[in-house]
Amino acid sequence: MKDLMTVISFTMKDMVKRKSFIISTLIILVLIVVGFNIPKVLKSFNGDSTQERLLIVDSQQIFDGTLDSLKDMNLGYDIQIENASYEQIKEKIENEEIESAIVIEPQALNVKIRYIVKSATMMKGVPEELMNVMNTMYTNLQISKLGLTQEQLQSITPNFEFSLEQTEEEKVSGNVVAIMLLSLVLFYAIYFCAYQVSSSITTEKTSKIMETLVTSTSPRIIVLGKTIGIGIVGLLQMIVIVGTAIISAKLFLEPEMINSILDMSNITPYLAIVTIAYFILGYLAYALLYALTGSTVSKPEDIQSANTPVAILAVVGFYLSYFTMMNPTSELNVFASMFPISSPFCMPFRIMMGVASVTDVVISIAILIVTILVIAQVAIKIYSNAILNYGTKMSIADVIKIYRDKSN
Amino acid sequence: MGLILKNVSKNFVGKRAVDNISLTLDKPGVFGLLGTNGAGKTTTIRMLLGIIKKDGGEITWNGKSVERKNVNFGYLPEERGVYPKTKIFDQLMYFAKLKGMNKQEATNAINKWAKELKVEEYLELPAEKLSKGNQQKIQFMTAIIHNPELVVLDEPFSGLDPVNTEILKNIIIDLVSRGKYVIMSAHQMATIEEFCSDILILNRGKTVLQGNLKEIKESYPANRLEIDVNENIDSYIEKFNLEKEIEKNNDYIIKISDEEIAHKLLSELVKDGKIINKFEIKKPTLNDIFIEKVGE
Repeated sequence: MKDLMTVISFTMKDMVKRKSFIISTLIILVLIVVGFNIPKVLKSFNGDSTQERLLIVDSQQIFDGTLDSLKDMNLGYDIQIENASYEQIKEKIENEEIESAIVIEPQALNVKIRYIVKSATMMKGVPEELMNVMNTMYTNLQISKLGLTQEQLQSITPNFEFSLEQTEEEKVSGNVVAIMLLSLVLFYAIYFCAYQVSSSITTEKTSKIMETLVTSTSPRIIVLGKTIGIGIVGLLQMIVIVGTAIISAKLFLEPEMINSILDMSNITPYLAIVTIAYFILGYLAYALLYALTGSTVSKPEDIQSANTPVAILAVVGFYLSYFTMMNPTSELNVFASMFPISSPFCMPFRIMMGVASVTDVVISIAILIVTILVIAQVAIKIYSNAILNYGTKMSIADVIKIYRDKSN
Repeated sequence: MGLILKNVSKNFVGKRAVDNISLTLDKPGVFGLLGTNGAGKTTTIRMLLGIIKKDGGEITWNGKSVERKNVNFGYLPEERGVYPKTKIFDQLMYFAKLKGMNKQEATNAINKWAKELKVEEYLELPAEKLSKGNQQKIQFMTAIIHNPELVVLDEPFSGLDPVNTEILKNIIIDLVSRGKYVIMSAHQMATIEEFCSDILILNRGKTVLQGNLKEIKESYPANRLEIDVNENIDSYIEKFNLEKEIEKNNDYIIKISDEEIAHKLLSELVKDGKIINKFEIKKPTLNDIFIEKVGE
């Protein structure tokens, strides 16, 4: 136990002190902070903070002076209403007193609206919403002139009520963007941390320190200590990253924007605990698989090819859950939430969607734990027997032979 | 008591790497394990320390099997290795802790040995900044830092300069004087002769010679005559039908089959009034014995 703590703390310190680790973590954090500031920056570039000044000229009183009510509506314009000639408008636009103007003029059968801007190529677009509002105001004004009663008026005014309903019984809630993000973060966190275990073991073989190490403590302690040490650092790194993301979101994003991405009512302590549990278990499963492949090679250039089978498993597991997310009640998604290579990426999302029962979660975790124990047993055995194999990468046949060879 | 290996064997895929080796170390001292490359020295050491499993035989230390929990041993592997990016102090501390030392004991031991091995100034540097020789001294420190009873050194002097070789030699002599058991494999026969009380020569996994080094050498007849005279004595060498090995400024090393012929040569030279500065009949060196045993 004391040895295990020594290996864990050495592994953690070694990883945290590494320049590549510090720099990559800092880059991720900076990207997050910068990323959450992008909407703000874009907004200030577009000048949304200072509203576009718009002059409305209704010299013939076609709107009977009702246009003043436009000033109180939130239409995205700073509206001024006064009489001005085209020359005066032109002068105002050139002096930058206003950005644009609308001139309302009567014609024989209809009303002409002239939208005047400095340059048609530089304008943001036609103020459609304002036009719609003015259209409605004009219609109402004309109807009211017909002397209709309030009831008659209501009956011809369109008054639709729109509601969205679904036929499926399960309560599917939450937002797909947030769920996919969670799945993606889990996948990358698990995958990259687990990969570190493999490269750490190969580094020890490359630097030939292995022999000193195995005479200082048992292979079991080394494999477990390394796996746990890197796992703790990975978990802490993930907490720092997710924490920075949450704080940045609160500080830099507008509340409406957060709510449109994330329904906070779905983030329960239960979900947080289960997600962390799946991170730990998923990480253990993949890290131990990587410990196995890492111990079969002794040159850094061989890591990539030795790790390919595990990488394929991870990608298959991830996509199995990712592509069935759109249809969380399908049998394939239920299978993905139970199958140990995909359950860590899939189950937290099912819980967030509210489609996984506690029994499902318990069964899925039990399957995952049994898988981890089996992988651990095989990985430690292969590691113990393969660590002194210097030279070429071992083939699968060699690995099986080494596993079976009790006398070695 | 001490270390006993009895009929130890190891096979690797169809090849017998170590064949029925037996040896005993019953008192403190340095035991020399000799052999050509691939003779089975490292395999023997790895079996001895339980890094690889033996296929047959028995290995005990004070009557118990040699395992980490039964024996406090230190090991300098032939494959030298350090963590390249980790500070020297941190890696020494790591291994000291794994060997059961607490932080204070480990710090004291690291400082003491760093001073003795003259590597104090490197303790705060990552290992990759050190020369190969200094890295080797760091590895030697990891082998002895926890004050082990049994020290196994696989080729401890390879790659060291004469100054560092001397430092290491003195430490090994000191270990023995403090009652430690040392097993050492080496290629340099002169070093083995200097240190070892007992030796075992391996060839292709088999023991070809074993025993007390002094007794082994005594059992061999003299094979060389070293003679330093004032003039050329080639005619005498021809007369006695001898073979010159080296000649330089009338310093001769001559091969002889027995001591008697050397004495006959000496009396002949004296009789003819030659002035002899040096006359020494020599036993074979370990190098001669080694080459005779393994160098077919």
